[in-house]
Amino acid sequence: MKALTCVAVLALGGSALAQSAPPQKPFPLGVSPVLYELSVPPERRPTAARIALGEKLFNDKRLSADDSVSCATCHDPKRAFTDGLPQSEGVKKQRGKRNSPTVLNALFNATQFWDGRAGSLEEQALLPIINPIEMGMPDVEAVVAKVKGLPEYPPEFQKVFGREPTAEDLATAIAAFERTQFSGNARFDRFLAGDSKALNASEKRGWALFNGKARCNSCHAGNAVSPLFSDQKFHNIGIAAHQHDFSKLAAEALRVVRTGDAKQIDELALQTNLSEMGRFLVTKNENDIGSFKTPTLRNVGVTGPYMHDGSLATLWDVIDHYNKGGIPNPFLDGGMQRLGLTEPEIDDLVAFLFALTSEDLAALEKKELASQRARKNKRPERDTAVALGKKGNLGDIGVSPDLSISNPADRGFYGPVGPSSEK
Amino acid sequence: MNARKTSGIAALGALGLLSLGAASAKDASAKDASTPGTSPAPATHQVPRSAEGNVVIALCDGETTLEVKGVKDPARIDKKQAQAISDQLMAEWLRKNPQANWDPVPPRVALAQPQPPTPPPAANADVKKQGESAASDAAGVAKQKGGEQAGHTYGAFSARDEALWKASAEQMVKEGHRVFHDSKELGSTVAISCDMCHPDAANTHPETYPKYQVQLGRVALLRDMVNWCIENPVRGKPLAEDDPRMKAMEAYILAQRKGVKLEYGKH
Repeated sequence: MKALTCVAVLALGGSALAQSAPPQKPFPLGVSPVLYELSVPPERRPTAARIALGEKLFNDKRLSADDSVSCATCHDPKRAFTDGLPQSEGVKKQRGKRNSPTVLNALFNATQFWDGRAGSLEEQALLPIINPIEMGMPDVEAVVAKVKGLPEYPPEFQKVFGREPTAEDLATAIAAFERTQFSGNARFDRFLAGDSKALNASEKRGWALFNGKARCNSCHAGNAVSPLFSDQKFHNIGIAAHQHDFSKLAAEALRVVRTGDAKQIDELALQTNLSEMGRFLVTKNENDIGSFKTPTLRNVGVTGPYMHDGSLATLWDVIDHYNKGGIPNPFLDGGMQRLGLTEPEIDDLVAFLFALTSEDLAALEKKELASQRARKNKRPERDTAVALGKKGNLGDIGVSPDLSISNPADRGFYGPVGPSSEK
Repeated sequence: MNARKTSGIAALGALGLLSLGAASAKDASAKDASTPGTSPAPATHQVPRSAEGNVVIALCDGETTLEVKGVKDPARIDKKQAQAISDQLMAEWLRKNPQANWDPVPPRVALAQPQPPTPPPAANADVKKQGESAASDAAGVAKQKGGEQAGHTYGAFSARDEALWKASAEQMVKEGHRVFHDSKELGSTVAISCDMCHPDAANTHPETYPKYQVQLGRVALLRDMVNWCIENPVRGKPLAEDDPRMKAMEAYILAQRKGVKLEYGKH
């Protein structure tokens, strides 16, 4: 049945896209075949041999300078491909400036990294290896030489790519593995597929708020074709504004950044305060100052701490941040405004966000929910007076959804999911 | 003029079983009906009972009916038989209304939008001519020189965005197509679906709404008429105006008629 769905959807959505065979296995609920077609060019379809080699490389600490850090150190498969730390730790316990994003569904991103400096998983895969504070290798040539020197790899590269290890093939293999890490199958997906009991009342209210008063869908847009809950654009929501003078930093950044070379940006992004410039380091456009990519919300409950610098510990903190309209700064995104969410509404939104967790991460979800809930009353970001408009002037608020009617239209048009799309 | 007659004539501009059309402006009686203060209450079509307990299906003209011989349980009517019933009633209506502006089935305009550019592989996601976009990586940004869309958070979009928008819109249209053709999804108790009288959404004239709709005795939007059809020929429960199925059907019907010139009063 599922295979049929894929074919049907591809036939309609994929007509203008690359004409190629659909991937072998049917996708779980909540993963879009159309988006897969769009995101994975035919020549990059992972093969079993590349996936196996890529997984091995992904987990191999010997790719780092002192054999202490692998990709999996910060993207731990057991932790939904994150490390649970605010900022990731590289070789010699060095700490970067950014939070490690999950690999789950990264194959669907338009660009990689918080500032989108890499256009593909292949390009992305090599940069942390040669970043001085992540995996610490001096350059790509050194990585290739090290891999050639490890007895098991040259034969395997020979088998998979028909030649000695190269940087390109190394990246291809790791990316192939990452392209198998799509993730759907959340309670939310079962709800949309027609199982009205898959979400509890609080989660349903959260979904209505998500699309209404809380305005989440303005940037975290999702539908059946693009189920990531991300517009893949870059927004300044004021996360770093209370720590840095953006204008001063921007002037400095302009002076430092000349070429826009991905490796140079990589080092600035991880080692200096210019990290806070975000997308600006890539584009040098003033209105990109302090803006970062909208991350996917799939599995968000288990991929904290949150924001590009991991500065918010719980989803309650995240909602508090948005509820007060972010932190004012000259480059704040125009879409940021106070939301006026009440405490029960915040709880509902958090409940909904946890419902976006894949079912195979249920155990982790339970643990994370418990630990976040334990911190629920410690709320550093909360500013109820601003959120409710008693202080400041951050705009009018939306209307709380009418929750007394159970109208299917609360769901808007998300698109056919599950059985209804198979008819 | 009695209300019943008005209703019968009103079917003029439109249709058989499933009327999505409105009164023709050429029809004086319909004009009368649209004068404020004189609107008659819309007639209720009293469907006669069959002496033998057979199923009786009503045409949307408010007067024609058809007894389905030998069928007592409407749930047993399959799609083929329902289509035959629909065809028979439609033929009867066309015989009674030879002057009706009933359009032939339009050429199949499969889906709504012109082809956006084929998206590039995500790898070199977008080094577009018009400037860097939210999908440009560092290399792409470095290559481009200025460009009108540079720097906009919401204005800058990439070929990938366009492809997603197109696929999303097409999915909605396709879903509408499915509902339109699915009597069960429409909640029909008599196996009738929209396509049986409106193949490929013919004669739905979405571009003519809002308009005075005689069957309803008031100005209607497309969705009001869709619900009227669901209640009457289809014999189902009306959908909430913002039910996803209703939205999808509107998307399908509108997409089928995209670019059609509006001719007020013709339909």
